[in-house]
Amino acid sequence: MSELVGTPEQVISDPAGVVIDDLHKSFGDVEVLKGIDMTVSPGQVVCLIGASGSGKSTLLRCVNRLEDPDAGRITVGDFEATDLDVNLDAMRRQIGMVFQQFNLFPHLSVLENCTITPRRVLKQSRDEAEREALHQLDLVGLKHLADRRPAQLSGGQQQRVAIARALTMKPSLMLFDEPTSALDPETVGEVLAIMRDLARAGMTMIVVTHEMGFAREVADRVVFLDKGVVVEEGTAKQVIGAPTQPRTQDFLRRVLNPLGE
Amino acid sequence: MALSNRDRARLSLGIQAAIFAGVVVVLIIIIDWAAVQRSFFNLEPVMAMFPEVITVGLWNTVRYTFFGFIFGLIGGTVLALMRIASFPVYRWIATIYIEFFRGIPAILVFIALGFGASLAFGLNLSTLQTASTALAIVGAAYIAETIRAGLQAVPKGQMEAARALGMPAWRAMVTIQIPQAFRIVLPPLTNEAILLTKDSSLIFVVGMAGSAAELTKMGRDGITMYQAGMTPLVVAGICYLIITVPLSILARRMEERSPARSSRKRQKKATASPVTSGVA
Ligand SMILES: Nc1ncnc2c1ncn2[C@@H]1O[C@H](COP(=O)(O)OP(=O)(O)OP(=O)(O)O)[C@@H](O)[C@H]1O
Ligand SMILES: [Mg+2]
Repeated sequence: MSELVGTPEQVISDPAGVVIDDLHKSFGDVEVLKGIDMTVSPGQVVCLIGASGSGKSTLLRCVNRLEDPDAGRITVGDFEATDLDVNLDAMRRQIGMVFQQFNLFPHLSVLENCTITPRRVLKQSRDEAEREALHQLDLVGLKHLADRRPAQLSGGQQQRVAIARALTMKPSLMLFDEPTSALDPETVGEVLAIMRDLARAGMTMIVVTHEMGFAREVADRVVFLDKGVVVEEGTAKQVIGAPTQPRTQDFLRRVLNPLGE
Repeated sequence: MALSNRDRARLSLGIQAAIFAGVVVVLIIIIDWAAVQRSFFNLEPVMAMFPEVITVGLWNTVRYTFFGFIFGLIGGTVLALMRIASFPVYRWIATIYIEFFRGIPAILVFIALGFGASLAFGLNLSTLQTASTALAIVGAAYIAETIRAGLQAVPKGQMEAARALGMPAWRAMVTIQIPQAFRIVLPPLTNEAILLTKDSSLIFVVGMAGSAAELTKMGRDGITMYQAGMTPLVVAGICYLIITVPLSILARRMEERSPARSSRKRQKKATASPVTSGVA
């Protein structure tokens, strides 16, 4: 799997830290995040786990302000994400996001997916943008598919393009929202391998995932979220291996053993 | 005795064919074919109408519709964006406009522009200006709804991915959402062009000089001029079809080529060809 990615070629020089302080978010009357505190040091990988509806996606989307928090404070590197007058677009260029449904642009080729933002937003020349895009596509092992349309790719390939697309912006933080949940089982590994190599290259990452094996191997810390509250956090060994909270134990039992026996 | 499915299908087909044959026979007997030919398919007025029916009538119809459609497209796009804007006043204005002009007969707009504009504002609009403005005003209301539906048919994740990459809202709109909506919207917009082509005939109520006459006016005038029955109307009708049928075929082609369908079609082809070659 790892021959897909040349780990040493990618070194993240300036990973950003994230500080989340007493974050609250409601949708209508429902409070989805009830005061979240969380710190991610530069270069750290944090895996967010928790049941469906516990607020994992909402938390992630507050970090790059796809959702507007109601109260609390978030800093990403030098950016005060929750400031009213923060330059959102500039901040988002520093934060790559990978979605469960890939969200590649279907009317553009794989290469164009990776060059459109550098060219249109960073005003790079076509040559410059394509060189970087092909480099990133090469790192995810898909340079040879640069001229294809996303619809002609497998799910795993599409997600790898989505990662390459995010990396062309040279982010200092990557957010992953269940990046392998929509994939066929046999393509999950190729995406996780790329994420692991990215982590080893020094990227700060917040990863929402149900892949406990990945969390065990890659995560510096695991955070268990339940009903909008951080219930337990620690190393993967602690949280997944020996959870102390009943709700964590209950959740892990269901994830690791879905049939309940 | 029970019929097999195949027998039943054959029987049904036979009954349909028998009814058809009966109706044809009755029509042949009761219709005065000479009269039909005299009043609908008379060659004399047809010859007399050429080439003006093409060089003037068809040309004017196309011109009025073309400009009406272009300005309707611009207005409709603006209205559609207003309809989904976050500033509520924009949404209200757009909604009122759209409901108003979809709810009244288009002919009222033609009358208002044709007679009202000069009475109220002293504006002297040419026939081209009157017709294409009226079509644009009415067309914009329908086109706005088509475009809004197209914009909303683009999955929300597209805009989110673009914004997450750091594109400003307008940039994401222009490079990601609108191009995708455009593809979705092309077939219904082509149908809109067909409707406008037909509605251009409404300029007839305002009246116009002979050189500005479009197809309906020419057909109507031909009836009085040649005193040879309905043939001029038939000619006008055929001229409309010359415009609308290709547009209609175009719309269907584009619908078939839309991304969702083409993948299905490819699959079908891939599975179908070995079967057919096997049979052959
Ligand atoms: N835009 C929204 N409007 C209203 N309610 C929302 C919205 N987004 C999320 N919610 C609600 O907030 C709660 C938390 O949602 P969230 O997507 O953050 O959960 P999650 O932990 O990511 O779950 P999953 O594992 O299913 O993705 C859910 O009850 C959801 O229904
Ligand atoms: Mg989620």
